[in-house]
Amino acid sequence: MIGGRRPLPGRKPADRRVRVERPHSPYFRYTGPGQMVAKEAASRAPTPAGRALARARAVVFGRPLANEEEIGERLAKRKALAIFSSDAISSSAYATEEILKVLIIAAGAGALAYSVGVSVAIAVLLAVVSLSYRQVCRAYPSGGGAYVVARENLSQLLGLVAAAALLIDYVMTVAVSTASAIEQIQSVIPQVYDIRIEIAFLSISLITIGNLRGLRESGNIFAIPTYLFVGLALLMIGVGVLHIVTGTVVPIDQTDVYSPPATETLTLFLLLKAFAGGSVALTGVEAIANGVPAFKPPESRNAANTLTVMSLLLGILFVGITVVSRAYNVLPTEPGGPSVVALVAQSVFGASSWFVPAFAVATALILFLAANTSFNAFPRLAAILAEDGFMPRQFSFRGDRLAYSWGIVVLAAVAFGLLAAFGGDTHALIPLYSVGVFVCFTLSQIGMVRHWIGVHGPGWHWRAAVNAFGAALTAIVFVVVVSVKFVDGAYLVVILVPLLVGMMLFIRHQYAASSTELAVRPDFVSGEPRREERVVVPVPGINRSVVQAVNVGRSISDDVRAVYISDDQDRAASMREQWERQMPGVPLVLVESPYRALVGPLLAYLDVLDRAWPPDREDPITFVVIPEYVARHWWERILYNQSAKRLRTALLGRPHTVVVNAPYRREDPSSFEPAAAGSGPATDPTQPPSAG
Amino acid sequence: MTAVPEPSSHAVRRVVIAVNGGPSDERIVRIACELARPTKAELVAVHVVEIGWSLPLDADVAARSEDAQRVLDIVEGTAEKERMKAETVLLQARDVGAAIVDEASERGADLLVVGLPYRKRFGGDFAIGRTVPYILKNAPCAVMVIREPMTGESSP
Repeated sequence: MIGGRRPLPGRKPADRRVRVERPHSPYFRYTGPGQMVAKEAASRAPTPAGRALARARAVVFGRPLANEEEIGERLAKRKALAIFSSDAISSSAYATEEILKVLIIAAGAGALAYSVGVSVAIAVLLAVVSLSYRQVCRAYPSGGGAYVVARENLSQLLGLVAAAALLIDYVMTVAVSTASAIEQIQSVIPQVYDIRIEIAFLSISLITIGNLRGLRESGNIFAIPTYLFVGLALLMIGVGVLHIVTGTVVPIDQTDVYSPPATETLTLFLLLKAFAGGSVALTGVEAIANGVPAFKPPESRNAANTLTVMSLLLGILFVGITVVSRAYNVLPTEPGGPSVVALVAQSVFGASSWFVPAFAVATALILFLAANTSFNAFPRLAAILAEDGFMPRQFSFRGDRLAYSWGIVVLAAVAFGLLAAFGGDTHALIPLYSVGVFVCFTLSQIGMVRHWIGVHGPGWHWRAAVNAFGAALTAIVFVVVVSVKFVDGAYLVVILVPLLVGMMLFIRHQYAASSTELAVRPDFVSGEPRREERVVVPVPGINRSVVQAVNVGRSISDDVRAVYISDDQDRAASMREQWERQMPGVPLVLVESPYRALVGPLLAYLDVLDRAWPPDREDPITFVVIPEYVARHWWERILYNQSAKRLRTALLGRPHTVVVNAPYRREDPSSFEPAAAGSGPATDPTQPPSAG
Repeated sequence: MTAVPEPSSHAVRRVVIAVNGGPSDERIVRIACELARPTKAELVAVHVVEIGWSLPLDADVAARSEDAQRVLDIVEGTAEKERMKAETVLLQARDVGAAIVDEASERGADLLVVGLPYRKRFGGDFAIGRTVPYILKNAPCAVMVIREPMTGESSP
């Protein structure tokens, strides 16, 4: 009979039919002979509490997505631009200030006039780096950016150096950009200072949740602030340039101008320092090359075009803000004062204009969102490293929403930890910031030079030349950045990068060692098991769970013995009598434990068994079958199985030992009646050998 | 050969699709989905495993047959691709046509979609088989028969 279903009547007596149940159907779908695909219901939590948790997760993070929905999660160029460019574009909010802060030292020597030139030089560097990364997008469509380029063309070690530098940089980006966004708010509402850690936590948590909801949704959430900033900044530059062209510029009066110890000479080093300072604008440019697979097909082309648009926008914003700031003679203020970009907004539109607060909000938002680029790039890089065995494998697993959840959560935790440790003041971290990125730029461009030389494709000469030029430029910037910021904290990068590289090499070594140990030779064919087996069942008395555990043991091997550990001689004697009567054929070993210990004597007994085994025979496999009572409710778990848990922990990793749990459910069909009814001693059914 | 319901006069509410595990299953499921979509009609896919007289009708045949289960799983997958949901029914019966007609009438179907392979009898005549004529003759609802296209060799 099938499911006990009675045949259904048809039009004629011979037309009866039977409906066949399809028990697999809610959970699986057959796709080929012996092959099934699990449906969403198969992953559903079996308990009400688990289902409630899953519902709560679905509200916060969205419903789980299947693998085939991955393509729907891919990013169109507009959303990708918002996600991957927020870091780079946000740097236009402070890069000009970085240049001016250096050049103001030699303001008397007319150094400030060079700010536009320096910004143009940085824009040229940006163009070269972008051109190079466009080529990386096309040559390495699987993503990975500098790490993959260096790994493929230079060496594994240099790849890891690039990866380590980038990972550090991404963490820094989250910490630093969150802190500077809070500073932006603080310059308008000073009271914010007291709750800056809470704001940081909230902001990082929101970005984390947004990213855990998956790429597409985080694109939806984060696109608006990015485009708002870009739109307002372009408007500001446009109006500013119009004023310059029409000659209606009215330079502003500043009172709290930043005044570091001044010199009267303009040196090349000072210009280089300004160049290095402004080069923070380039951080985040590499993010797109890391995330090529996140784009809709054709991935490489879309990524390369998005990169171009991003670089153009960044270049226009950065040079534009610098040009307008010079025209209005905007100078950096003392710490705590308004930022250069805010002053530019005030100069162009007037301090009372609606534009000024709107632009301040947009700037704060884009600075918060600069962290979002890291939230996309860090997990992807970590996943590629994990696939290569340099990071724990969990980093390459995708969560319910196809996002690399581990990378996202780890990044959030480390970045917030840094922020909290520094009390929300990340000035100490800033020197570390942007050092790593230039290591990557340099390594990836040298790698690309070797790539073109190796490939010898059409136009390889000029491609290699562009990359070589870029490599030389970024190497110079790297040297300048490190020498300028070394004492301030860049030395930490010199310590952290080797540490991270060492850690990654160690992880790889561990994985390699374990896979060698676990490897099965291709010519190996598994034969019949040849090792002898014996079973030890620790028993707390006689009850149904014990009987079931002994029977499980009997199904494994004929060599079964029960072990009863007790501190009471009389009880032991009565147990022996009852055991022999009710469990004939299964030897019982009584172990007296005057110190009331349970686990120790059992382990010692197992050791003795091992020693007693004839040395000329291969060690047997010892199955320790532990009777367990299945709790129906969560609170019952506190009442039962505590000794079983201790025993299991103690046996974990013991050589030649397999621990078997024999769970007894109250609902199990009873095969004990009437033999076991009321016959066992009044023991806790799940207390395996208990001495008391 | 084909009796199509007139969409204007009669809204389709329940469509029964008879599938046999043949190559045309996917096509008829897609067509049924298109027909059902405008009125959000219910889709029921029926696959019948014929049981010979040597076995009892309720013999454990279809439940154990991965092939039989897979026929309906593929239908389910095809419907999902079309963003529709199909209920699946696996039957054991002595006669496929009778089981399909009975199931369709029990479920109150107003359209029955069935595929027909293009086969020729020995001698070259088109072979329509037993099942489709039975359905056309006995089904209480509208019936749509979708004959698979002729292949190069089978075309006249």
